[in-house]
Amino acid sequence: MKTFQQNLSKLEASDTQVLGVSMDSPFSNKAWADKIGVSFPLLSDWGGDTTKKYGLYNQQYKAPRRATFLIGKDGKILEVQLDKEAIDPHNVVAACERHKLSK
Amino acid sequence: MQSIRKAVLAVALGATFVSGFSQEKKAAPPTPTVKVGDAAPDFKLTDQNGKDVSLSDFRGKKSVALAFYVFAFTGG
Repeated sequence: MKTFQQNLSKLEASDTQVLGVSMDSPFSNKAWADKIGVSFPLLSDWGGDTTKKYGLYNQQYKAPRRATFLIGKDGKILEVQLDKEAIDPHNVVAACERHKLSK
Repeated sequence: MQSIRKAVLAVALGATFVSGFSQEKKAAPPTPTVKVGDAAPDFKLTDQNGKDVSLSDFRGKKSVALAFYVFAFTGG
């Protein structure tokens, strides 16, 4: 999430809101956000309902699989990135450019 | 005879262990049920400051990069 923070201005220039989601508690997320300087929302999917709705619940780790969804203003999915691709925020910045998202 | 039995038992146990281990390694990761072009399922979740955030808050206003991460306090 730290690298997403470092690319936040590029994503904001594409009129894109970054939302992190995990199954951690809001208290863990608060401590972590303060530690690494994240200013965008880190959402607590405590219990995993949203993670399961997106099909990302990993039974083995009891946690979400790493994935980034780029969602358009109309609420439809524009791109799905998984694992290594999802970790590198340059890929979602590039996706914003591909879809010509801008203010 | 006794030693043969022991050897057979050891091989059987070893095979059980190996197959169990490889099965665990093979456990398939979950595949997203939401695809390109689908409507993203809405949610209402609490952020690190105790504020509720819904995906629908951004409808018609902003695109959203929804980044699922595995655990807080880990890389990526």
